[in-house]
Amino acid sequence: MKTESRWLKPENIFRLFGMGVFIYLFFGFMILPNLNTLTQIFSTKNAAGEADPFAVIRFFFAGNMGTYVLNSLKLGIGLIITVNVVGISVVLLTEYFDIKGAKILRMGYMTTLIYSGVALVTGYLFLYDNNGILTTALHNAYPQVDKNWFSGFNAVMFTMTFATTSNHMLFLRNAIRNIDFNTVEAARNLGARPMKVLWKVVFPTLIPTLFSLTVMTFITGLCAMSAPTLLGYDSINPEIVRLAGSSIADEAFPQARAALLSIILALFTIVLLTGLSAYERKGHYLSVSKTKAKLVKQKIHNPVANVLAHIYAYVLFVIYMTPVVMIILFSFQTYGAIRMKTLDISNWTLLNFFGKADYSYLTSRGTYRVREGAISGLFSNADTLGGIRISFILSAIAAALACVIVVVAVNYIFKNKKKGVVLEYALLFPWLLPTILICYSYRTYFNSNDVWYVGNTNLYYMENVRLLIIIAYTVVKLPFSLRMIKAAYYAIDEELEDAARNLGASGLTTMMKIKLPIILPSVLAVFALNFNALFTEYDMGATFASSYGTTYAMVMQSMTQEEGLYGFNVNASGRRAASTVFVMIVSGLVLYLVYGVGARDLGERLALKEKRKQRRERVLRKLGWGRSP
Amino acid sequence: MIRLEDITVKFNEFTALDTINVQVNEGEFFTFLGPSGCGKTTTLRVIAGFIQPAAGRVYVRGEDITHVPIEERNIGIVFQSYALFPTMTVRDNIAFGLKIKKMKAGEIAQKVAEIARKVDLSDEQLGKAVSQLSGGQQQRVAIARALVTEPAIICMDEPLSNLDAKLRVQLRNELKSMQQNFGITTIYVTHDQEEALTLSDRIAVFNKGVIEQIGTPNEVYNHSSTEFVCNFIGDINKLEPALIAQINQVSPQLAPNQTHYIRLERVAVNRAEGEGAFCTKGFIKSREYYGMFIKYTIETDAQTIRAIVRNDGVRIYEQNQQVDITIKPEDIMSYPKGEGRP
Repeated sequence: MKTESRWLKPENIFRLFGMGVFIYLFFGFMILPNLNTLTQIFSTKNAAGEADPFAVIRFFFAGNMGTYVLNSLKLGIGLIITVNVVGISVVLLTEYFDIKGAKILRMGYMTTLIYSGVALVTGYLFLYDNNGILTTALHNAYPQVDKNWFSGFNAVMFTMTFATTSNHMLFLRNAIRNIDFNTVEAARNLGARPMKVLWKVVFPTLIPTLFSLTVMTFITGLCAMSAPTLLGYDSINPEIVRLAGSSIADEAFPQARAALLSIILALFTIVLLTGLSAYERKGHYLSVSKTKAKLVKQKIHNPVANVLAHIYAYVLFVIYMTPVVMIILFSFQTYGAIRMKTLDISNWTLLNFFGKADYSYLTSRGTYRVREGAISGLFSNADTLGGIRISFILSAIAAALACVIVVVAVNYIFKNKKKGVVLEYALLFPWLLPTILICYSYRTYFNSNDVWYVGNTNLYYMENVRLLIIIAYTVVKLPFSLRMIKAAYYAIDEELEDAARNLGASGLTTMMKIKLPIILPSVLAVFALNFNALFTEYDMGATFASSYGTTYAMVMQSMTQEEGLYGFNVNASGRRAASTVFVMIVSGLVLYLVYGVGARDLGERLALKEKRKQRRERVLRKLGWGRSP
Repeated sequence: MIRLEDITVKFNEFTALDTINVQVNEGEFFTFLGPSGCGKTTTLRVIAGFIQPAAGRVYVRGEDITHVPIEERNIGIVFQSYALFPTMTVRDNIAFGLKIKKMKAGEIAQKVAEIARKVDLSDEQLGKAVSQLSGGQQQRVAIARALVTEPAIICMDEPLSNLDAKLRVQLRNELKSMQQNFGITTIYVTHDQEEALTLSDRIAVFNKGVIEQIGTPNEVYNHSSTEFVCNFIGDINKLEPALIAQINQVSPQLAPNQTHYIRLERVAVNRAEGEGAFCTKGFIKSREYYGMFIKYTIETDAQTIRAIVRNDGVRIYEQNQQVDITIKPEDIMSYPKGEGRP
């Protein structure tokens, strides 16, 4: 009787329910769909309709499938070199060397933090594609320049190099700022020249961060989606998406081929991440100093080297900033000005953002026709607005769900160190699988009425796909959320929990009133970062490729297609530029809220409140309304 | 008031506490003293209810509370880190326990104001975040939060260890007078012998999960019952066989099968100690200047010996200067051999 009542305690019922949900999520949405993809590879049939489990493997070696893998590997390896060269140099130029205008340069190098993926690629295309501003200017000056110069491998490399350095600006910058300057001074004192110090003292401490960044860069290259799709490069992910949408009537076992490519991608990711974890477990170089000295920027004493460093820094700045500036400027230009690639104050308009206008065009019969509302702003175009709405809702729900799941899980992990490990690995599991594999698996596995644990409902059918996208978004964001929120949990002093219990608080009260408020800024930051990433997410939306789940990134991608034919899609370029500006504003705002406002603790908030109060009183006094001091 | 009866605590194979027996009286300031890992905090956590003992009982005012949940024990705690809730203001921190008890808002405000006045926290400070307060102020908040719920006992786990030396001394005095004003039974954990000696009514000296001695500060300092206590509390000279032989020539009472010690301040330098005292000559090897007193290291023909001399500004000895050393045999503390140093 006693045992029974103990089991019926609300805490135990809640725990059992939580465990049930986790097991359901793990097996139902992480294991079974991906296992199904694995089995697809071996469920091929030959022309006679007989089972031929290894047909797709033979096809891989006989056909051109290997090319996609090789191309992806080429991209990954190429990016390791270019991203590290550009990434390390931008960090050194802004944080280690004394370069004039470093603050402005840093802002320029950080622009990729506020627009990435499709928004960034479309931004680059706006400048460099066959109709782009820079291409047009180059072609006008040098007619022999190929207008399609910005495509294929080089274009993807160029775009992704500058897009991927944002990780260097976040993590390597942090690592370099944490260097104990006393070690630099000690090396100088022992007779080392500045470059020797950089090579022998500074770089070795950055190696762990650089190693992680290199692995992440390689995986980014391997799993690249938006840049190869938009710039025309045959790599694994765009091919998986293409095959997923293909039918057996058009080509040999497309689904099995897509599955095979997904699994190859997963194997690469698993091997690389396992290597990374093993390396991370070996431990890092830890600063042993009790009092760390702040890094002082190093002057480049050689005048020639100093000038060259400045030139290099500003050339990079121009490369980073030009697309941003041009997109912002052209987002306020009429469709005519954009087509002619001329900036003119007289062509200034807000039509790419708000409102609608009619468009008259000359038909083949020589008559003019008017298409009503053919020119529409970002917030007046039904398709774009629909994309924004879908992305906003799905991203917000998924970002919040990931946070809720992880907060509950981390609380359990910290309380139950042994059993918690299993849960932790389960939540990190999606990290081992490429996003595209998860989405492809969902698309094929849940596109049936036979999955019993979702009530035999086809989750890929019509509006149901939105639920599937939410689940995919949530699952994909679990590992990142776990790493971040777990790190925040470490900041909670164990004595706080003891203190709350000592003062009579229950487990739930301690969680809600003590622990949650402490980790709330981190949870909100994770929510915001998840939302930011998902709001302009393209890879998953493209893999699901459903008209009921057309995300904002997909709408933006469609804007890069030919415009203006028969009066359709007239100001697509303008709307595209406006979309990129909108994404920049949303991301910038989110980052400001997270790192600017959200990072303040209660002391800082109260101090700020006091300051504002004093300022208000001063103003009122000046106006003669307030009390005299 | 509090009685620990045969308390044993095990962490897997490791025995953290081995059959601990302590009796703390009503209103007493009782200190658990010992080096790191000796079991003093574990004992405190057993009393507070954070750790369930493998064996033994905890009694408060005669009532067995061994299995009473933490929140029902009515024991206040001041943690080493203070454990102040960083997302709450000082006022909310102090009021937390009262809110959990579902007291009325007016009553809470009154109690918070009252305790704040007693621990010398201003109304302005009550509105601040805990991060805006100094270390000493944070300590007062921690004490106020522990006292506001009117606990029967207050436990303090090294509450001064995070403060600088000067503030530590200042708050030590405040702590003592606060305890006397409230008249509350206090259990204090520290590894700092000076803190224990100045604050406590009685001290329990812990070593490797057992209590070596329970006594007043004077008892544990001047009449240490074990070699460990004698070594752990205060600075001390261990007498070498050559010196013991010389002392026995004057007063034959130091047994050879024992270890003998003398405290630094009991070694007289250039000062006659009367009849029966052992006297020898030595040279000043080094001098440590502490302001109020001076510590000398003196080389004699038998062994090197250290002595503390009050700084009167007149008798300050130079290096290599010859001095007379006098030791009274009754000041020597002797213990059976083999107990070892900590």
